[in-house]
Amino acid sequence: MSKVSLVVDGYLVQAEPGETLLDAARRAGVEVPTLCFHERTGTRGLCRLCVVEVEGWGRPVPACATEAQPNLVVRTETEALAALRRVVLELLALETDLSHDAGTQTLLKRYAAHPQRWSAPLADRREREPVHDNPFFVRDYAKCYTCRRCIDACGEGVQGVWAYGTTGRGHAAVPGTPLDLPLPETPCVFCGNCLQVCPTGALVPLEELSLAEGGLS
Amino acid sequence: MTPRVSPDRIVSTVCPYCGVGCRVDLYVKDEKIYRVMAQEGPPNYGALCVKGRFGLGFLHHPDRLKTPLIRRRKGAELEPAGWDKALDFAASRLARIAAESGPDALYFVSSAKATNEENYLMQKLARAAVGTHNVDHCARLCHSSSTAALSRSLGSAAMSNTLEEIGLSDVILVAGSNTIETHPVVGARIKKAAREGAFLIVADPRRVGLAEVADLWLRLRPGTDAVLFGAMARHLVDAGRFDRGFVERRAEGFEEWWQSARAYTLEFAEETTGVPAARIREAAERYADARAAASYWAMGITQHAHGTENVQALINLAVVAGQLGKPGAGLNPLRGQNNVQGAGDMGALPNVYPGYQPVSDRHVRKRWKALWHVRQPETPGLTMTEAFESIGAANGVRAVYLMGEDPITSEPYQDHVRAALEKLDLLIVQDILRNETFPYADVVLPAASFAEKHGTFTNTDRRVQRIRPVFKPPGEARPDGWITAQLGRRLAQLLKRGWSEAWNYAGPEEVWEEVRLVLPETFGGIGYDRLEREDLRWPCPHERSPGVSVLFTDGFYTPSKKARLLPAPWRPPAEEPSDEFPLVLSTGRVLYHWHGGVLSRRSALSQAYPELKVEVNPADAARYGVRDGQKVWLTSRRGRIRATAWVTDRAPEGVVFAPIHFAEQPANRLTLDAYDPTSKIPEYKFAAVRLEPANDVTPEAAGPG
Repeated sequence: MSKVSLVVDGYLVQAEPGETLLDAARRAGVEVPTLCFHERTGTRGLCRLCVVEVEGWGRPVPACATEAQPNLVVRTETEALAALRRVVLELLALETDLSHDAGTQTLLKRYAAHPQRWSAPLADRREREPVHDNPFFVRDYAKCYTCRRCIDACGEGVQGVWAYGTTGRGHAAVPGTPLDLPLPETPCVFCGNCLQVCPTGALVPLEELSLAEGGLS
Repeated sequence: MTPRVSPDRIVSTVCPYCGVGCRVDLYVKDEKIYRVMAQEGPPNYGALCVKGRFGLGFLHHPDRLKTPLIRRRKGAELEPAGWDKALDFAASRLARIAAESGPDALYFVSSAKATNEENYLMQKLARAAVGTHNVDHCARLCHSSSTAALSRSLGSAAMSNTLEEIGLSDVILVAGSNTIETHPVVGARIKKAAREGAFLIVADPRRVGLAEVADLWLRLRPGTDAVLFGAMARHLVDAGRFDRGFVERRAEGFEEWWQSARAYTLEFAEETTGVPAARIREAAERYADARAAASYWAMGITQHAHGTENVQALINLAVVAGQLGKPGAGLNPLRGQNNVQGAGDMGALPNVYPGYQPVSDRHVRKRWKALWHVRQPETPGLTMTEAFESIGAANGVRAVYLMGEDPITSEPYQDHVRAALEKLDLLIVQDILRNETFPYADVVLPAASFAEKHGTFTNTDRRVQRIRPVFKPPGEARPDGWITAQLGRRLAQLLKRGWSEAWNYAGPEEVWEEVRLVLPETFGGIGYDRLEREDLRWPCPHERSPGVSVLFTDGFYTPSKKARLLPAPWRPPAEEPSDEFPLVLSTGRVLYHWHGGVLSRRSALSQAYPELKVEVNPADAARYGVRDGQKVWLTSRRGRIRATAWVTDRAPEGVVFAPIHFAEQPANRLTLDAYDPTSKIPEYKFAAVRLEPANDVTPEAAGPG
C-alpha cells in the first residue's frame, strides 16, 4: 500500500495508510496538544483539544480521530484554533480540580486561559466526595474530566474486564461502576491500569493519599 | 499527572512476582514505596497486575529478617550472632558433615526469586567449594516437566518465541494455565488478541478466565492432557493435515512416535478426556491450518506424575503441525517466578552446569575445572524432591542450605516434609521474611530483597533485565550473593578446594562478567552497560546483537539440528478417587496471592483475599451438604484442612480446587509424594479427597482425619 501524502503546517508528510492527522503531524515534528488521547487504551476524539483546520473542510476536526487522507492541507496552530482550545481548557478548569494535573495547567498558561470569565467553578463536580471502596486505590472524581482513559483501559483497550462505565450525562457524566457497586463487587481485578493512565491524578493509590494527608486513611 | 506526594526518588526496576517480569518505576517517599507505575515498553507495555501494583508492602513488614541467628544445639533457642560468627558456624558445620559423610550429604537449594548472579554463585558453591552437584531450585516443582521434555526434543527449554508476538498469532492454544490470574498482564493481552480476531483454544478442566472467552474450550478431565494432544496430533497425520514438509526436513523419530500414537483415536480421546471428538478435531485442524499458532502452558499440564509426557504430547503436536520457528508460533511455557528462567540458565540444577551443559559430559567438566581450578564431581546430583525424600536414609542428605524457599508450604505431603526437616543435622535458612520453615532452622541468614540490591532477572521470554536497589537492606540483612560468596570462601578453605580468591567479587556485575565469560554464545553481548540502554534477550552472542527473538528459525539445538518426536504415553494419576475419598483435588493459585503466600500475604493483597476458599461444583455441594460460604473440611489420606466453600461451576463436577497460598491451611497437607519419573515433579494437580461441612469451631488444621 502506498503512502499518504499531505501537508501539515507547510511540511510535506508521507503518512502510512490508516494513520491519523495526529500521527501525520508527529511525522512533521509538530506536537498537537492532546488530553484524552491515549495510544494504548484507544481513547480518542473526546476532549476536542487537538482540533486542527483542514483547508476546504467546514469545521475544525480532532487530529487524533481523523484519518489522514491524500493531499490534505492541515494547520495545527491558528488564532481560531487557539480560541477554541482556550474555551475547551477553560471549561475543563471550571469542572475539574486540576491541582494534580501539571500537563493541563501548562496548557492553560500556553493558551492564556481565564476560566473565571465564564463563571465560578462548578461545585457539583468540584466537590465530589472521593470514593474509598477497596484496599488499594481511591477514586477522587472531583479531579476527573471524564477523558474516559480509565474506562477504555479497563475495557476494550487493555484489561478486557469492563468494571467501569460512564454514569450520568452532560455535566454530571463521570466514570462509575455498574449500579454504583463498590469496586470489589464488580469484575475489577485491581490491576491499577486505570490509575496508570489517569492524566489528572483522580485515581490515586491509597498509600499515596495517606502520605499526602499525613497518615489519615 | 503529578503525584500528590513528590517523590524523594523514582527507581526503575522489575517486579518481584511472576515470570512476566514487568518493568516498574517505584516512587519512594520517606523510605516507603507509595506508587508503582508501569514502564511503557516491553514486556508489559504500561500494564501491571494487582500484585506488582499494590503488593509490595511485604518490604516493610515486621517479619523481615534482620539479624543472623544460630541454634547452637538441637533443642536450643535461636540466638542472634554477628555475620562472621554465623558464617563461620554454618561453614564449619557444613564442612564437618561433608568430611563425615561426603560432599553429597550436603544439599543446596537455590532460589528462583534471587538474581542470576546469586544463582550462579549458589551452584558454584556446590560444585567448586564443596564438590557436589546437589543443587536445585523450585522449578523442580513447576516446570521441570517442561524443561525435561523440551530439552530432549528441541535442545532448548525456554519459551521459543516472545510475549511481544501474542498479537501475531492466528490461533492461540492455552493449556493448563489460568493466565488471567497467574500471569495477568499476559492473560489480558491474550484476551485482547482474541477480541481482535485470534482464535483462542483453551484446554482446562476449570472454567478459568480465558476459558470463558475462548472460541473453543476443551473441558478435559484432569490428568488426560497427553491423550488430548496425542489425539490431536494423530488426527492431523491421519487426515493428512499435518506439515509434511516440516516433519520431513526438520524432525526425526516420526515412525516410532506414530506407532505409539496409533491408539489415540478421536474416539478414545473422547472417552478418556470427556471432550467431544468433534471439538478435538476442530482444535487440531484450526491449530495446524493457522498461519501461525502459538501454544502457552503452565502447571495444569506439568504438575502431574506424568507431566513430562503431557508436555511431550504438546511438543509433538507443534512439530507435527509445523508451528515452530516463525513469528506468532512456538512452544511457550509460562514461567511462574521472577527469575526461574534465570535460575535454570545459571545452572542451579543437579544435572547441568550454567548454560545447560550436561554434568555427565567429560569435556564440559574439564572446562569448568579449568575455570574454577578444582576437580568436578562426575555423578549428577539429586533433584530437590529426591533430596527431601532421602533425608534420614543411610546415604541421604544430612544438611541443607536453603535460599529463598519455604518447603514446608511448597513441597507435597507436608507431614513428610516436617518429618524430614526434623531429621536434618543442619538446616541453614536464608530468606527475607520469616516463613513456615523458619522454626526448623539451625542457622538463619537475613537476606536483602529484590528492592535492596543490584543484579539481573531473566523473565519468561528470555529477557535479561536489571534490578536496582530502592532501599538499604533492613537491619543487618545482606544480598544473597554476598552471603553465598562468604560461605563459598570459607568452605573452599575448609575443604581445600580451589582458590579462595575465586570468591572475591566486588559486586554482582563482576559475577555477571564471569557468566558472560563462560557462556559467550548466550550472554556474550549482554553487559550491564548495554542493559542500561537497551532491551536484551538471550541468546545474544555479541555486542551488536539485540538477542534472538524467535528460536528455531533454522535449526533446533539438538545434535542433529532436528526436532525429536518422542512417544508420550498417557498414564493414569497416582491416586484415583475412591469411595472414601471420592473427589479429585487440584491445587493452584489465585490472582491476589503468589505461591506460598510469604510475600503477598504480608501486603495489602491480604485484605482482598484473606482466607482459603475452595471451589466446589454445585452438584458436589448438594451431594455433600455444603453451602456457599460455609466452612468445610477437605480431607485426604494425609491430613485435612479447613476452608470456606465457594460453590461455583468453575470447578467441574467431581473436582475441587484449593489455592496453595495459605500456610495455616496448607493445600500441601493433602497432596501426595507421587513424582514424575523423569522430571521428579510432584503430582500437585491430582489427589483424592473428601469434602464435608465443618460443624466444630476449632480453626486449626489437623493430621490424618
